[in-house]
Amino acid sequence: MTAFATITFRPERCDGCGKCMTACATVKQGASRIDIVPGSRAGAFEMAMCRQCGEPKCQMVCPAGALAKDAASGVIAWDSTRCVDCLLCTAGCAYGGIAVDPATARVAKCDQCGGNPACVEVCPTGALQWNAAADIFNDYGGKEDLFVPGLAGCQGCNSELLMRHIMRKVGRNAVLATPPGCIPGMGSVGYNGKTGTKVPVFHPLLTNTAAMLAGIRRTYDRAGRKDIVVMALAGDGGTADCGFHAVSGAAERNEKILYICVDNEGYMNTGMQRSGTTPYGSWTSTTPVGEAMRGKSQDAKNLPMVMMAHRCAYVATASSAHMEDLYAKLERAIAASFTGFAYLHIYSPCPTGWRLPSSQVMEACRRAVASNFVTLWEYTREDGLSFTYSPDRPIPVRDYVSMLGKYRHLDEGQLEHIQARVDDQMALLRRMAGEQQAKEGDGQGR
Amino acid sequence: MTGGRNIPDDLCPIATDFTQALTGDWRALRPVIDRDRCVKCATCWLYCPVQCMVERPSWFDADLNYCKGCGICATECPHRAITMVEEGEG
Repeated sequence: MTAFATITFRPERCDGCGKCMTACATVKQGASRIDIVPGSRAGAFEMAMCRQCGEPKCQMVCPAGALAKDAASGVIAWDSTRCVDCLLCTAGCAYGGIAVDPATARVAKCDQCGGNPACVEVCPTGALQWNAAADIFNDYGGKEDLFVPGLAGCQGCNSELLMRHIMRKVGRNAVLATPPGCIPGMGSVGYNGKTGTKVPVFHPLLTNTAAMLAGIRRTYDRAGRKDIVVMALAGDGGTADCGFHAVSGAAERNEKILYICVDNEGYMNTGMQRSGTTPYGSWTSTTPVGEAMRGKSQDAKNLPMVMMAHRCAYVATASSAHMEDLYAKLERAIAASFTGFAYLHIYSPCPTGWRLPSSQVMEACRRAVASNFVTLWEYTREDGLSFTYSPDRPIPVRDYVSMLGKYRHLDEGQLEHIQARVDDQMALLRRMAGEQQAKEGDGQGR
Repeated sequence: MTGGRNIPDDLCPIATDFTQALTGDWRALRPVIDRDRCVKCATCWLYCPVQCMVERPSWFDADLNYCKGCGICATECPHRAITMVEEGEG
């Protein structure tokens, strides 16, 4: 079966400029198929446009069979040769999605411009967006979820989301290590003699994950099984702190493994203690807020940059706010893990430990990327560092940290510190990406 | 340590059966999907941490055996087709 891409409207971002309507009218050479109208609240706007319903009422009421939902795109197409101009569809639609175009005196409706809608293109505020979640579903929805359905991750756990998607992409041909942390804590390695993962999984020590994987890879290589993905799903503690020497050693030896760090910025599984990747100002149970201390007083270690300095075969950062980016990076990381050390660092908000309502986890992911608090880039030895996404107009980091209870106590000075750190980090990454581009430019000039 | 399926008992502890936990027990809020509003865009499926959204011919349903009631699907649904209602209510 198929899911369908959709045009989404966020009323809180719409300022009623009407550019979408102009663009639509121009492209369609008639009345705009999208209508922005004043909403019930003053200054608010609502949108009327065909939603390409799953069970379209317009199609049900049409006596001439002129409206039909396309099985591939989901677009409800209007057949002008069949239409008898009875206008029943305009009454049948509860969303104002089909109306008479005065230019032709016939009905007209949105056809999503064949997947590249003009209204979305021109929307200056991001109120209209093209939602292509369906593309990932259509590619990977049929692939098996390689964890059991009942894992004991907290409600809204982003790490659980990530690990399920990651293993869908990796597939069955894998050996998985999950060192102590939330991932085995929620049951990846199971309990009472039962397992939570549908591929071979083991529970190394917090300190030796990468070393153990290196041995597994070499054993498989010796046995002639060079098709197996040998991989870790580890937390930030097991990667940046306790397990770092093993990760660094394996990267230095260029062991052919895929090491994925799911970074929830602390030891959340054991009671939210600080880790090396906990950001400045965060409340944790070991960096409490009181008279003497206002959360963590040191900045986070930027582990993906440290891994880049190892000149790994592949290093990338990712966030579930940009799933298509995550899937593309997984593809490259899996391929790279057959030639050398591949490292993926994924930001993962923890609703329990960060004091965030579980329903707001994806919004936190988006704001982290939109504010440059989380940067999305990748590195290869050949091409150096390049951004895969960076916001054109980053939002202030305040808009991100204000969502999270772990930053509730921050004063202005601390907020400035976090913003300065974010800006500084971005400038450094830009320099590294820019220098690489400058070098390529030199090469072409010669 | 089941040792079945040609796995030697003395190799190391190996599990070949799956754990079974019905995490739907935890739920305080239940997602209710309005089929009329659903356009089957798969946004709920993409972001459901439990991956319990089940595909139907023209909409998605939550598998309430496993849904923990986090509310991400209702927040993210671009067509506001999902509402969270308290368990125990109709």
